Amino acid sequence: MWSQSGVTDEDRLSRAQARTVIGRVFKMAAPFRKTMYVAFACVCVTTLCALAGPLLVRRGIDLGIRGKDPTSLNISVGMYLLVALIAYVFGRAQFLYLNRTGESFLRVLRLAVFRQMQRQSMAFYDRNKAGVLVARMTADIESMAELVQWGLLQFLAAGMLIVFALVLLATLSWQLTIVALLVMPILIAASVKFQRDSNKAYLAVRDRVGANLSALQEGITTVRVIQAYAQEEETIRKFTKSNRELFQSHEHSVRVSTWYFALIEFGGVFASALIIGIGGWLVHRGDVTLGTVVAFTLLLSSLFDPVQQLSQLYNTVQSAGAALNKLFQILDAKPEVDEHPGAVALPASGELVVNGIDFTYSGAENRALRSVSISVGVGEKLALVGPTGAGKSTLAKLMARLYDPQVGSVSYGGIDLKMATMSSLRERIVVVPQEGFLFNGTIRDNLRIARSSATDEEIDAAISAIGATDHFAALPDGLDTEVRERGSRLSAGERQLVALARAALVDPAVLVLDEATSNLDPGTEAEVEHALEQLMAGRTVIVVAHRLSTVQRADHIAVIADAQVAEYGTHAELIAKGGRYSALATAWQKSQVTN
Amino acid sequence: MTSIESDTEVAARLEFEETQRSEGWRLLRAALRMQRRNLLLGALVGILWASFKVAVPQMTKYAINDGIEKNGPLLQWALIIGGLGVLTGVLSGMRRYIAFRESRWAETLFRERLFSHVLNLHVGYHDKAQTGQLMSRASSDLMQIQGFIVMIPITLSNVIQIFAVTAILFITDPILAIVALIPLPFVNLSARRFSHRIHPASIAVQAEQAQLANVVEESISGVRVVKGFGAEQVQFEKLEKEADDILRESMKAARIRSSFMPAIDVLPALGLVAVLGVGGHRVLNGDLTIGDLVAFNVYLTLLIWPLRNIGMIVALGQRAAAALVRINEVMSTPSEITDPVQPKTLPQQTAEPVGAVKFDKVVFGYNPEFPVLRNFSMEIRGGESIAIVGATGSGKSTVTRLLLRFYDTQSGHVFLDGIDVRKLKLSDLRKHIGVVFEDTVLFNDSVRNNIAFAKPDAGDDEIERAAKLSGAHDFVLQLPNGYETVIGERGFSLSGGQRQRIAIARAIVANPRVLVLDDATSAVDPSKEGEIRDAMKTVMTGRTTIVIAHRPGTIALADRVILLDEGKVAAIGTHDELVASNARYREVLASMSAPEEIGKVN
Repeated sequence: MWSQSGVTDEDRLSRAQARTVIGRVFKMAAPFRKTMYVAFACVCVTTLCALAGPLLVRRGIDLGIRGKDPTSLNISVGMYLLVALIAYVFGRAQFLYLNRTGESFLRVLRLAVFRQMQRQSMAFYDRNKAGVLVARMTADIESMAELVQWGLLQFLAAGMLIVFALVLLATLSWQLTIVALLVMPILIAASVKFQRDSNKAYLAVRDRVGANLSALQEGITTVRVIQAYAQEEETIRKFTKSNRELFQSHEHSVRVSTWYFALIEFGGVFASALIIGIGGWLVHRGDVTLGTVVAFTLLLSSLFDPVQQLSQLYNTVQSAGAALNKLFQILDAKPEVDEHPGAVALPASGELVVNGIDFTYSGAENRALRSVSISVGVGEKLALVGPTGAGKSTLAKLMARLYDPQVGSVSYGGIDLKMATMSSLRERIVVVPQEGFLFNGTIRDNLRIARSSATDEEIDAAISAIGATDHFAALPDGLDTEVRERGSRLSAGERQLVALARAALVDPAVLVLDEATSNLDPGTEAEVEHALEQLMAGRTVIVVAHRLSTVQRADHIAVIADAQVAEYGTHAELIAKGGRYSALATAWQKSQVTN
Repeated sequence: MTSIESDTEVAARLEFEETQRSEGWRLLRAALRMQRRNLLLGALVGILWASFKVAVPQMTKYAINDGIEKNGPLLQWALIIGGLGVLTGVLSGMRRYIAFRESRWAETLFRERLFSHVLNLHVGYHDKAQTGQLMSRASSDLMQIQGFIVMIPITLSNVIQIFAVTAILFITDPILAIVALIPLPFVNLSARRFSHRIHPASIAVQAEQAQLANVVEESISGVRVVKGFGAEQVQFEKLEKEADDILRESMKAARIRSSFMPAIDVLPALGLVAVLGVGGHRVLNGDLTIGDLVAFNVYLTLLIWPLRNIGMIVALGQRAAAALVRINEVMSTPSEITDPVQPKTLPQQTAEPVGAVKFDKVVFGYNPEFPVLRNFSMEIRGGESIAIVGATGSGKSTVTRLLLRFYDTQSGHVFLDGIDVRKLKLSDLRKHIGVVFEDTVLFNDSVRNNIAFAKPDAGDDEIERAAKLSGAHDFVLQLPNGYETVIGERGFSLSGGQRQRIAIARAIVANPRVLVLDDATSAVDPSKEGEIRDAMKTVMTGRTTIVIAHRPGTIALADRVILLDEGKVAAIGTHDELVASNARYREVLASMSAPEEIGKVN
């Protein structure tokens, strides 16, 4: 019941790290400490029962059979039966309590890690790849499930069994214990070597499995190109190569375990040969009884099996430790954008002022924004234009405090956004991203992302505020239509409408829009356009613009180039100025004409 | 479930499943037949191992009766037992090695056959198939089969062991044997029932884990929405629900484990109790020796693992059969697009330019009820370049796919150099058509290998020439390792325009008779497109080229323009002619090349 696992050298924990990890695990397990103790007690009882069996056989043979005392034999039998029953009852209990402890721990871990991930600011998500974060929350935690289900029990039981068995053997006969221990050093040395080799072999297999799966996936997803260029045979040849390499790594891993298990098997029989040989001699001398020799042959496996189990589990425990360490690192990460102690609510309306900000993305060399100052009055519409990567989207994000500037400040109604409560900030200033991102669930669920307490009436009102009531009513289940994975059931335009309705539901004073670059189908395009106008009416708007039509409707235009505000003014002013903006506008108009 | 099956439907379905299953077993047998010799060797080793293993307690018995009780030759018995230890050790190692090696080998070969079959299946199949499904056929399903095959030698030796031990016990003392063996069949029964019940329970846990993964995935991908609306708590509550579900399902599985595992552990102990009680009295009565009694004990412990294993292999076998059925579904799907029985060859290049393409009254739809192309005819002379223009969904890309024979027409014919594409060997046809697809697919490999994809033995200068023509050379040199830089999903990430230029270079290296550029420069920066356009002119000279584009500059490269509307040719002419004369053409052009992103026109 053991599946392979392993840990790379870089992930292997140092002694001090291991202590910290164990300490934290116990701290997190505090709420169900009682369950844990009960589980531990149950493991103790079943282990003792496992050892009691051979002892009772010994008692039966020595006192009952050789002592020719049928009553004593019957007592031994009765006790053995009782022990078996106790083992059964506690065996069930140990499974339940241990699993409950472990699974509860995993649940607490899942919740803690996720909550901490959610608290992190955008910079955290820029730094860490989405795939890695998902893996932390899924594969890394799931990899511990097996340990929880089987491993922990085996680990505890094996450890206890070795200790108890040694004590027991020593009390039965110290001479025979020495004999049994003669085999132990070889067994332990072999186990240590096996544990190292199998760890290495496992890592090699894991890499090859990964490479093979990638080759497989690439072949399937690129099949059209492969067929178009008639490269099927070449691709199959390459895949076969990777597949054979996988086979070889499997074969190597089997070879590593082959000699070990052969040795274990031999060691067990060899040790009983020793016990019989030397034990028999001791019986002849009258030093030990025959029952003791028999008990020893039965108890030997209690000594050898745990050593073997521990060596196999060692890798699993180590990789779980490495996974936990990574998870604890996430728990320790401090969110960069967080609510300040003593934060105040933002006023209902006010001017949005950017005051001399500098901003550098963490890990980036160059500043994304350099001493930028700009202000947007109540109800004013500001368009940000400029080349890709010049900083217009960054500026928009800072105006909604998705990031904090390193120098300078962004304030709303005279209050620095850093000093505002998160809830009032999200109510006043809402960002509508380029693509309408949808979550699993119904359209209604997706709107409630914006405000979980919204009533059905409020949701209807938000939909109607952007003029999309008829559109959504026409869907099979109206607002209760399941959008399926990532909203795949809705068109891009419909997803955009949902995103706008979310904003309407919050009813913010300031709207930060990132205009879509890609085109929608002409039908919904008009609807989205209309919804946007409805939403923008009467609000302060900052729009990252990609279209001249949008720009022309703005009160002011800021051209962002090279991380700075290059030009600022109304459309007419900037055209008259004949600078960057007028060049952009001309280029756009020209492409219209050629069409 | 909305539909209720009638009796006949159920019967038909069951029969179908039955044929599928027997087909699965047939496939497995065929695969195993190839490894017959090694598997037989494994079985033989297993049988030998079992016999020696069984001999150990017998020798222990003699050692106790003869050596200890009667003061006989102890050393001799100890040596015999030690010798048996060497034999069982070596044999168990061999058995393990053979079992694992053979099962992995079967898995390896299966995967290769599956991969090459899938790769040769027609594109229409891949349109419907889900990558994830195919992946799990070739990974987790094959693992089930491997897990079954590995048990074959082990099971054989287990069966032998059970028979041998039972025989010995009955010969030694039939009454005691019956008493001792009574609890043991329950070990087997419990193991079997356990396997049956734990399997769905672990699947349920996995399903809950997948749901939690969904929440995590959407919260991370949609982090901007979550942050933007402060919806952290909403997502947290969703996650909490999923975490609770996992806990609940895991505890269900734990309860199943807790009701079987301790029983499986304790049942053999009952046999031992019986041996001590009944056997002890029989020794006291002089019907049995102490050595026999001890041997009985040891023999009973020898039965525990084999009985457990055999209980589990039944369930393993059923799962392997189910996996085989799923694999067989894929393997038994024939490719609908295949080489003709007697293929024709394309005419050699002579003074006449090659690469003439003709569509003759082609009707085609991905769903035959909704044709995309309706009576579509066009003729392109060898060496001519043509642009196809049409609104989204007008069937532009479909033309390319039919030319490549990704699909066969419903009626009408497609010709390359006067030969019906259905009369050509697929590889022959496709080697002569170089396509740059709309969604640029690059491989996780070096730039060089990506460009040389169609011609793996292409020389350095050939690759560089192609890269220069497609405008890729300059930026490739800027990459960390130049042409050796690994790109693609897990490599260096390139911009959309860069990817397209590599894809164009790939098509150039293929040196096809017909070059198809399906929206191939859409992601290229307009300022760079001018450069590429010049290069493209060179490539297009003397080569049949089909351009699907929406930028006027690119369209103007072509000798003629075909306006595709509602699956038919609506107009043919030069770009200027059509702009001047055709209102629909102007309309389509305007709708496609909607506002250029002014941000990019620096």
